[in-house]
Amino acid sequence: MTEKKAWDLSRRELMKMGLALGAGSALGGMLPGSARAQQLTMDWWWWGEQELPGLQKVVDGAVAAYKEATIKPMLQDTAVVISQFQTAAAAGNAPDIQYLWNGIYHMESVWFGYLKGLKELIKPEILTASTPTALSNFGGDTYRVGWYPLPMLWIYNKKLFEQVKLDPNAPPKTWDELLVACEALKTAGIEPLGGGIQDGYWSEWYISHALPQNLDTVGEAVELFIGDKDFRDPKYHEHWTKLEELKTKGYLNADMSSLELYPGIDLVPAGKLAMGQSIGTRLPADLKTANGEIGVMVMPVFGKGKLAGTPLLDVQGLGISSNAEDPKAAAAFLEFLNSPEQLKAFWDATGWIPSNTTFDSSVITDATVRSMWETWGLGKNISNVTNVMPGQFYERAAIPTGQQIVQGSMTGEQAGELAANTAKEWREFNPDLVENYQKWVVDLSAS
Amino acid sequence: MTRTSRLTPYLYVAPLVLLIAFVFGYPLVRIFEFSFKMVRGIDGPWIGFRNYQLVLGQDLFWESVLHNVQLLLAIPVMVIVSLLVAILLYERVAGWKLYRIIVFVPFVLAIPIIAVVMKRMFQFSGPVNEVLRWLSLDFMALDWIGSSDVALWTVMILIIWRESALGIILFLARMMSLDESVIEAAKLEGANWWQRARYIILPQMRGVIEFFVVVSTITMLSAVFAYVYVIGGGRGGPGTATVVVEFYIFNALIRTSLPGIASAASVMLFLVSVALIFPLFRARRRAAQDEATR
Repeated sequence: MTEKKAWDLSRRELMKMGLALGAGSALGGMLPGSARAQQLTMDWWWWGEQELPGLQKVVDGAVAAYKEATIKPMLQDTAVVISQFQTAAAAGNAPDIQYLWNGIYHMESVWFGYLKGLKELIKPEILTASTPTALSNFGGDTYRVGWYPLPMLWIYNKKLFEQVKLDPNAPPKTWDELLVACEALKTAGIEPLGGGIQDGYWSEWYISHALPQNLDTVGEAVELFIGDKDFRDPKYHEHWTKLEELKTKGYLNADMSSLELYPGIDLVPAGKLAMGQSIGTRLPADLKTANGEIGVMVMPVFGKGKLAGTPLLDVQGLGISSNAEDPKAAAAFLEFLNSPEQLKAFWDATGWIPSNTTFDSSVITDATVRSMWETWGLGKNISNVTNVMPGQFYERAAIPTGQQIVQGSMTGEQAGELAANTAKEWREFNPDLVENYQKWVVDLSAS
Repeated sequence: MTRTSRLTPYLYVAPLVLLIAFVFGYPLVRIFEFSFKMVRGIDGPWIGFRNYQLVLGQDLFWESVLHNVQLLLAIPVMVIVSLLVAILLYERVAGWKLYRIIVFVPFVLAIPIIAVVMKRMFQFSGPVNEVLRWLSLDFMALDWIGSSDVALWTVMILIIWRESALGIILFLARMMSLDESVIEAAKLEGANWWQRARYIILPQMRGVIEFFVVVSTITMLSAVFAYVYVIGGGRGGPGTATVVVEFYIFNALIRTSLPGIASAASVMLFLVSVALIFPLFRARRRAAQDEATR
């Protein structure tokens, strides 16, 4: 006699089990909605701990607090944020919720059909309050919910200003005022302006601040890439000419070409450099380093475009993939992240502001940080134009031009020539993307 | 020998051959395929030789090739440095065993680690320039990593320093197998250090030197990415001063989402590397023959 194994089921037993399972499923359908939703599991691929320490705590807290579904978060590596998502989406395995950088960094996924439009899924008041920025719009829809803001600003060392009898509470507003301040600082033996450009990001940030000065809309920047406008027009390379002026007058720090972005920014709170480009998330720490002697300013104005002198605000965001099993459930989670409790939890964990205009900014104790948020975040602001740049242009023109001007091997006019040629080259390499960019101009020019 | 017994050895190696064919062959086939497609996401339409046309028509690609060729200038320096150090060690200068370990250390350390350290050393306000200024050699305190005119040479210094370590060990190993009685006889005959090196040691080193030169050539053409990535600030900069073909491929694939372009450049780099493997095998054969006839 053979011993009956545990998995040796008779036909009768098998039928019994099938009936039991069927009954269980049917009963499950009659259970309250919340109980059923417990069974839904959603994947959330995110990034940001790298630039905003404490975000992991925000994610963990939100996942634990959310009771409508099980959320499985995964922190992505910086190098694969886009490619990992796109590859998974192409294979039909994308996560339900995906972290998205602004502009072209997620728009390409929109064009591939990997992302869901959010206007039908997220309540309009929440979507608007999260300030996803105009760069998230395409074809009349919006594809991201804002998560946390990155105000882009210039900072200056008030103590160094005082040393040369410059008003520490009235930083230069025009280009001429900037040149006067730089001259005073230089004469006193203080390096007036700069940072670190070795890794290229300073070049990008410079364009973010300076190119819009001669633009009327962000859409006009896109026209430069699709060939409707030309970088050889002096108006469109004046920003590089201005950088050249700073270089030739000796106002940039001597070691700028061999320093990277963040060590370069560190020079300002350290009192070794008077002015530089920075980002809002750094401000609390820099204020601490410099005993509160750091001021914030918008890049001094030289241009005549409608965007000149407007504070610059970039925003990191989240979207819903087209592969999402239940897009409405994913949307509900994104709305949950924008609830007052979660916004406060965000502040508590990171010491930084969540991207939501309804956030109670009275909790910000530092006056400089609060004033910065009120000006950059809540006032009139513009998106970061470098986020509409095609990657090929970014690598081939945006980064090298700044580096070469700063080291003195290129003029502003030559930079315009290189930019125009690179834009043409990009159009030859990417005829399919040009068509999408042409459509995108419509959204960007309208906003 | 029966037909079955003739097949037996092939059957034994077949699983491994199939595994290798899958691991290396499949990606290679896909890269060739992608080089003829306008890939978006994970696939795209067939566009013939358009990717090759675009790559070959782009200034940046040729600039990258030129930088790789420029790096070849490091090879004679590496050979000379390696030979000199190896001969000194072979002469058993006091503490030679310790020196042997020290010179090989750079080769053991990961490239990004030594490149990051070197980068700090060579910053405009870094230790190298501080020392030069202290010695009143201000004219030599260059912007080593921040100037387009100098950055590639700085990369080359780093490569020479690290890759010479391999040459030293290879050459020293070969020297250790030489017949010492010949060298002793030359010494007794009054041959000085240079004469012994020139007429006795070097002629017997030809095979291993050729081997090192071919390996280094392949390295300079297709294995310097880590050096230029770190020293060039992850951008091949300043400007495009340190962009090499590998970096060009990386940028096309990862940063500009052009897998078709990256594949076309990869195929060309692959074919050049394959062409260089033949002299490598010849050099290895010659080195083996030298060893056998000794």
